[in-house]
Amino acid sequence: MPRKAAITGIGVVSALGAGREPTLAALREGRTGIAPVRYLKTSHTEFLVGEVKLSDEEMTRALRIPESQATTRTSLMGMVAVREALAHARLQRKSGLRIALVSGTTVGGMDKSEQYYLDFLAGDTQNAYISTHSCGACTEMIADYFGIFSRVQTISTACSSAANAIMLGAMLVEEGRVDVAVAGGSECLTKFHLNGFNTLMILDRGQCKPFDARRAGLNLGEGAAYLVLEAEDALGGRGVEPLCRISGYANTCDAYHQTASSPNGDGAYLSMAKALEAAQLTPQDISYINAHGTGTENNDLSEGQAIQRLFCGGIPPVSSTKSFTGHATSAAGGVEAVISTLALQHSFIPANLNFAQPMPELSFTPAAGGDSPAPLRHVLSNSFGFGGNDTSLIFSKI
Amino acid sequence: MEELILQLKQEIIKVLNLEDVKPETIADDAPLFGDGLGLDSIDALELIVLMEKTYGIKLEDPARGREIFKSIRVMAEYIHANRRK
Amino acid sequence: MPQSIKRYSYITDRLALVDGKTLPVAAAEATEEGNFLTLLYRSLGIDYPKFFKMDSLSKLGFLASELILKDESPRFTPREDVAVVCLNRSSSLSTDVQHQASIQHEDSCYPSPSVFVYTLPNIVAGEIAIRNKLLGETSFYVCREWSAQLLLRMASLSFCDACTRAVLAAWVERFDGVSEAFMMLVERDGLSGIPFSAEHVEMLYQNTKTQNT
Repeated sequence: MPRKAAITGIGVVSALGAGREPTLAALREGRTGIAPVRYLKTSHTEFLVGEVKLSDEEMTRALRIPESQATTRTSLMGMVAVREALAHARLQRKSGLRIALVSGTTVGGMDKSEQYYLDFLAGDTQNAYISTHSCGACTEMIADYFGIFSRVQTISTACSSAANAIMLGAMLVEEGRVDVAVAGGSECLTKFHLNGFNTLMILDRGQCKPFDARRAGLNLGEGAAYLVLEAEDALGGRGVEPLCRISGYANTCDAYHQTASSPNGDGAYLSMAKALEAAQLTPQDISYINAHGTGTENNDLSEGQAIQRLFCGGIPPVSSTKSFTGHATSAAGGVEAVISTLALQHSFIPANLNFAQPMPELSFTPAAGGDSPAPLRHVLSNSFGFGGNDTSLIFSKI
Repeated sequence: MEELILQLKQEIIKVLNLEDVKPETIADDAPLFGDGLGLDSIDALELIVLMEKTYGIKLEDPARGREIFKSIRVMAEYIHANRRK
Repeated sequence: MPQSIKRYSYITDRLALVDGKTLPVAAAEATEEGNFLTLLYRSLGIDYPKFFKMDSLSKLGFLASELILKDESPRFTPREDVAVVCLNRSSSLSTDVQHQASIQHEDSCYPSPSVFVYTLPNIVAGEIAIRNKLLGETSFYVCREWSAQLLLRMASLSFCDACTRAVLAAWVERFDGVSEAFMMLVERDGLSGIPFSAEHVEMLYQNTKTQNT
């Protein structure tokens, strides 16, 4: 078998809390993190959101960053999650290893930009938050905080960004271009994309209902999540135990429309099929699918059709954990990779909350969740982004 | 009504960037979506914004758009009956 | 066999080149960037009304790909073995600013869905894929400045997938009065004779650029 990347650490902050323990507890207890707006300063309080229940000030203090230092919510959440992942993998500051940080974000430092934009227009060209705006700057702030990364990279492919970052991280490790890759994504809520999604009329005012006939859109969320990836054959030297491995991945293009998915989910079908092929697995090997499942009319139908076509011999349990976290956009693939890893480790199926009414177009209904009768072996996680950018990752027990 | 229809055609051409389309080539009763002008879901949303911005009509349910945007004439009649601007 | 560059294109707000040769677009008539891209679109005889709905970043990338692919045959048949990889410096900032302006004032807040769609840089890769029915990998990277090395590195990664036979690799930048697209069609088993190496990419880019400024 070709060289594969093992996951040796995970770190996450989302609507479910900061850290893998609260995340696992909320998932197992079926407790959603989606609630009315509390931190984002918006007049659109009619929408429910999956906010990280920490203010910027609280995160700044917890990270012991001087208050005078310019940071963004995206970079702060990123630091919180990377810190946990590095500690989990027992990576020391002076490890002598070549470590890459690959991070997905699309909104970047937009939160601070919208706060200071009017000042800037009024001539405040010295504002410290001008240089923190870009996606790359957010990743670099995370990297600078730790000072251990020899390679820093930002991926911006909308809602599949973090999944693509993980795919790239796995490639870098497999190819031996780095010893360790810390890969995932971070994205904060902003008025910028809340307004944008609202204008696309795909926000549900109630709790989102993925794969339900009554679904009326998504709930936006936020968060950051990262995996520590290292070559399986190099783990002995560090004396760490792998949590699981990334056995396959693929990115394909739906090539249908800028935002809408094709009716048959061609891109989704291809990304899942190619990821299985890369992992040398058959559809029957998959124990659980963590779906993209946004709760929009279009996504769930398209993704559902693709799952139905590919897994025609028997559909494994499917759920969308966006019913817990909201859609953390560029960070979603990272958050769901962490959830997939937790599911594998603890052999449980995360629930698909708020489901009541089957979709007439689909032959399957989403999983109710709970302990799996048999240990999970392989988990498939989907992340699809605007631009028809479809990514599937497969996590496998070692 | 005829005046509103013409105005609507000009506005639609402008907001949907139908660069090569002239008002006179859009038939009043031809379907806007599907084969007609080749409009897509984003165009439908843009028409919803147009209705709110120019005529003060707020559509909460995008599915309603399907009936209202059937043709220029249907759309004009709806605007005529519901406009606040 | 090494990967090689089959064709390359270059577009700014005033000129367009394929394989280093300038296209005869009536540049004198172009008074602004959007205008030049429309002239270029017309001069290529393309019939694709969606072009006019794109933001300027997508128009740039789209035209760069048209210049490269227009003589390919067959075209528009679904291809799983072609990837699109783009890089730039300013992401989708030129369109972000437009969207931001539309939500700046609460009393006249009318965000446009068709503008918001383009506040994602990777949409340009999606537009190229939609036009040409490319079902392979699409990716977009934002970096500090033009880098032949990085473009090479990211495009090479797409070739790690054994299924990938060709990659459209591009630098597509648009912000603050600067428009620049440099795109290459890279083939896994190409016969063009231009090796896909950092030196050659840098040379093609610099030659095209300096020759015309």
